[in-house]
Amino acid sequence: MQFSQRPLTRRGWMQRSMAGCGSLALSALCGSSAAARENTRELPKSHFKPRAKRVIFMFMDGGPSQHDLFDYKPELKKRHGKEGKNEGAILMGPRWKFTQQGESGMWIASELLPHLAQHADKLCVVRSMHTESSAHPLAVPMLHTGAFQSTRPSMGAWVLYGLGSVNESLPGFITINPTRIFGGPSNYGSAFLPSTYQATRIGWIKESLKDVSIDNVSSPGIPAPVVAGQLRLIQSFNQALLERTRAVQDVQGAIDSLGLAVRMQTALPHSMNLSSESPETLAMYGIGEGPTDGFGRQCLLARRFAQAGVRFIQLSLTGWDHHSKIDLLADRCHEIDRPVAALLTDLERQGMLEDTLILWGGEFGRQPEQQALDGGGKDGRNHNADGYTVWLAGGGVRGGLSYGETDPLGYEAVENKVHLHDLHATILHLLGLDHTRLTYHYSGRDFRLTDLYGDVVEDIVA
Amino acid sequence: MNYPTCYFTAIVLLLAAFPAGGEELWSLQPLLQEEVPAVRQADWPTSDLDSFVLARLEALELTPVGDAGPLIIIRRASFDLTGLPPDPADVNDYLADERPDRFQRLVDRLLASPQFGEKWARHWLDVARFAESSGKEFNFTYPHAWPYRNYVIEAFNVDKPYDRFLQEQLAGDLLAKEEHSQDKALKIAPAFLALGPKRHYANETEFRADVVDEQIDVTMRAVMGLTVSCARCHDHKMDPISMRDYYSLAGIFYSSQPLYGTISQRYSNHPTTVLPIGTGAQALHNVAERHEEKIKVAAEELEKQCTQLDEERKRLSEIESQELDGDSDRQQVEVDSIRVKMAKIEAENVELTEHKEQLESARPPRPAYTISMCDRDAPSGTKIASGGNPTELVGEEIPRGFLTCLTIDTAALPSDGQSGRLELARWITHKQNPLAARVMVNRIWHHLFGRGLVETVDNFGALGKPPSHPALLDRLAWKMHSDWSNKRLIRSIVCSRTYRLGSQVSEAGNQLDADNRYLWRMSPRRLQVEAIRDSMLLVSGSLDLAPPVGSTVTGLGDRLVRDVELDLLQPPSNHRSVYLPVVRDYLPKIFELFDFPSPNLVNGSRTATAVPTQDLYLQHDPDVIRFAQLAAERLLSKNQANNRLRAATAHRWALTRTPREDEIAGILELVSQVEKMDQTGAETKQPAEVIAWSAVFRALFGCAEFRYLVDVDESAGS
Repeated sequence: MQFSQRPLTRRGWMQRSMAGCGSLALSALCGSSAAARENTRELPKSHFKPRAKRVIFMFMDGGPSQHDLFDYKPELKKRHGKEGKNEGAILMGPRWKFTQQGESGMWIASELLPHLAQHADKLCVVRSMHTESSAHPLAVPMLHTGAFQSTRPSMGAWVLYGLGSVNESLPGFITINPTRIFGGPSNYGSAFLPSTYQATRIGWIKESLKDVSIDNVSSPGIPAPVVAGQLRLIQSFNQALLERTRAVQDVQGAIDSLGLAVRMQTALPHSMNLSSESPETLAMYGIGEGPTDGFGRQCLLARRFAQAGVRFIQLSLTGWDHHSKIDLLADRCHEIDRPVAALLTDLERQGMLEDTLILWGGEFGRQPEQQALDGGGKDGRNHNADGYTVWLAGGGVRGGLSYGETDPLGYEAVENKVHLHDLHATILHLLGLDHTRLTYHYSGRDFRLTDLYGDVVEDIVA
Repeated sequence: MNYPTCYFTAIVLLLAAFPAGGEELWSLQPLLQEEVPAVRQADWPTSDLDSFVLARLEALELTPVGDAGPLIIIRRASFDLTGLPPDPADVNDYLADERPDRFQRLVDRLLASPQFGEKWARHWLDVARFAESSGKEFNFTYPHAWPYRNYVIEAFNVDKPYDRFLQEQLAGDLLAKEEHSQDKALKIAPAFLALGPKRHYANETEFRADVVDEQIDVTMRAVMGLTVSCARCHDHKMDPISMRDYYSLAGIFYSSQPLYGTISQRYSNHPTTVLPIGTGAQALHNVAERHEEKIKVAAEELEKQCTQLDEERKRLSEIESQELDGDSDRQQVEVDSIRVKMAKIEAENVELTEHKEQLESARPPRPAYTISMCDRDAPSGTKIASGGNPTELVGEEIPRGFLTCLTIDTAALPSDGQSGRLELARWITHKQNPLAARVMVNRIWHHLFGRGLVETVDNFGALGKPPSHPALLDRLAWKMHSDWSNKRLIRSIVCSRTYRLGSQVSEAGNQLDADNRYLWRMSPRRLQVEAIRDSMLLVSGSLDLAPPVGSTVTGLGDRLVRDVELDLLQPPSNHRSVYLPVVRDYLPKIFELFDFPSPNLVNGSRTATAVPTQDLYLQHDPDVIRFAQLAAERLLSKNQANNRLRAATAHRWALTRTPREDEIAGILELVSQVEKMDQTGAETKQPAEVIAWSAVFRALFGCAEFRYLVDVDESAGS
């Protein structure tokens, strides 16, 4: 990193200052909109108007079964118990009842997701997803970073790099309860992008949010007035240094960053403290009620962070890898159904659903047949990378749309196929970013989230 | 499966803008040999290097700013050469020293200190993507990677010639054979090739192809500044590197076996041996292995007996459950005999168990081990993998060889009996190869000025940036070729007038070259994370300068990192930061916050961010709080007469210079404010003055001047 007196380019500025302070905060800091214009010159030209300002990505770790949730296949139901495509394999129809919901008449296993089903007209269900690998260790990084051959920046890091964040007191990219395996931290890391763009992590997978906190926002045992006193001394030293050295940019950077730190010290615990929420809200999210408490807290935190201007928020829930005992899918669904529905309701009520893009999905989907042949159970399904379902909502996507088709039995996507790269491209598109131009020069060439691939799925854009 | 290790988005876009063709790539041309240029301001240069810089400045109508003051320069040189701030006593000596060569003497002292190697080794470890685990989805520990770290430190401290340093890392095992040498360094150095990130659960074909690819990548980027691994899938679009070139190198690495260790366990399918190192290591290893063999025999014996016992038990229950058939006596006899037999086995069993436990508790000491390399049997070339996919080999075998863009007539090609790594090492270090020297002197320049003469330190290809001072770069490269001495090169740069410039800004400089590309001043820099942590430890008085034995990771054994408690992975340490365990994806918190580079990638240039999580860390992290408290106790134990003196001492410890009045006043205000505070609510029962001075040190650790090398007007201070 170089230090210089020249007006900073936007990229240079972003590399140096915090991720939680992007273009808007930038103009405030620079004190003039001219400076801000100057600074946006190097912006990867995002030439379309953004439909979404932020993303909430709900990662369903393990690969939820689309056959039992969203991809309704009467043919599969009819041929339940018959031999499938693979020799000796037995087809397994959906275990739960699908009904048509909303004005759109979208098919959903409403028995499993009764609350979410009521939001059918907000959902854009993409049933023709496909990805590169049906092995968790490769598919998880592929979903998060668009690659599995080498370590690449995560989706959230790219988004933050492209847009910055409007909040001056919170990190721009937050991941809640992420998984520690299958790439672990690199799934929310910045790889070769400056470390500014990596996520701030809250908790680990399966940890209860009741007890977790973010590191270093307070020191147990040191009274707040002492901390305040030492921060004042630092600022006075920094100010004096600023006057006495000509390394203005660097010292100013340190001053700004400390200012943000002081705000973050209050803002983070404040954002994470749910006690200001009404009992009705907590109840709506299912907080305090056994199975829904965990994901309920994640969803409510997501709304609070979204409200505060955090650019990219990732939630995670594991336990969707049903090689056997698919009946347990009901438990997972129960955990998420009310919280997710509550989040949709809440965002809509706050007028934020229209510019908040929600993505729900796993690293791949599952097979329409039993897994009895290769080690799983008669009541389980194996991985499927050739056809699976994700859904989006809010931020510029067409609600009530069931997009794409798998074959009649649901083995693979056949119509309006959407590759994971296409999904990435579309997410960036909805955020006003051209995925072919959101690039970063590293090691002699320009890298991007979608590699050489990806087409924006215009059909799902509202 | 998809093998797009290389992509050409940018390349395609740039094709139009850049002339194609390797012959014209500047970095492959022979070293320039230009005369030292004449300069108008003839009394300014103190070395040839300065003349090159000044000539360029004069051509641009620029004048260098004034020299940095003595306090700035001693702080700058100390951090740059040892990664530590100067000792206050040394600062006093330096200021009192009136000899004209006091700076050269200072530099020589710093270069000779063991801390020099610890600082500069870390720069090499960044490009060598050194780490102590495999990384990737299933991250396995590498308990025997640490000797390589120590080897690099030692190499910089003894100023091992750079050509030899490279040869040892690429082919130390083969050099040992050739030289009939037992030098353990030759076993350790090749770990360079073996400790890259790996996917241990992959199948054999993919695993080997990925390892070879990573070895080509690290060798060519770290040493030659070329991105060759694009050519795994297609001819390089910009640089003169073909797929054929790639596979001629691949043959060399396919003929070699990395010895990284690991054991056979779930997700780990490719264990190898590691090499015992140190005096008598082989004998110790043999004894330990024989002992393990004994334990194994005992365990097998025990197992056999248990099976036997189970069988007898089964027979017994069968007999007992049989209907009495009238011959109860015979049955009873049988039962009795089984019982006797079982009793006998059980007795033996007790003995054997004891024996096994004894053996297990008396395991002889093991030697240290190292990751390394060796040759495989029957070295040969390899075929081209279509699209980079190792299961689709096409065409004829490509003979082993080197990059064809760089023809060195006198360099030997890989011979039949060996992998070819030694020949590759000699080709790379051949004086007709201008790249190895250019890349290394540029790396050194980068670390001393914050930016290389070639800004893209890891890329000297067509997509890298051209040098700002081509003649100077080549001058330094010539110097490198003459003795391959890193220390002498560093000394000559640090002793130049260019290095000793102040960092003040001039009007003209700012207008004509705001970026300071042409070095009219010294650019301010943020310290690297190691220096930040080591400085806090030093100020606290608890820095342990003795290197630790081995690594934390060694004690963990061969495991999946995710199964290790974080406290065990990163236990508290008072050693220098270069010795903290570097486990992929599980770096120490402070490393992650202050831009430690990803150990998965070759990285010769770190970023330097300023983000609030860093400030929060410096105020609240338990380690920092501990350092500040220790520093406070150390300060108070000096029994200074009053708080003014204490304030000055604390300030000098942390920031080298003596504070001004307003700074002393600020410190005193904080002290009195905290001392007056009601401490009854505080959890720790420390004396009020310790609490107060701890707050002062946390403030000193948190201020910008602590972690930035910037000029401060010295006139008002000391």
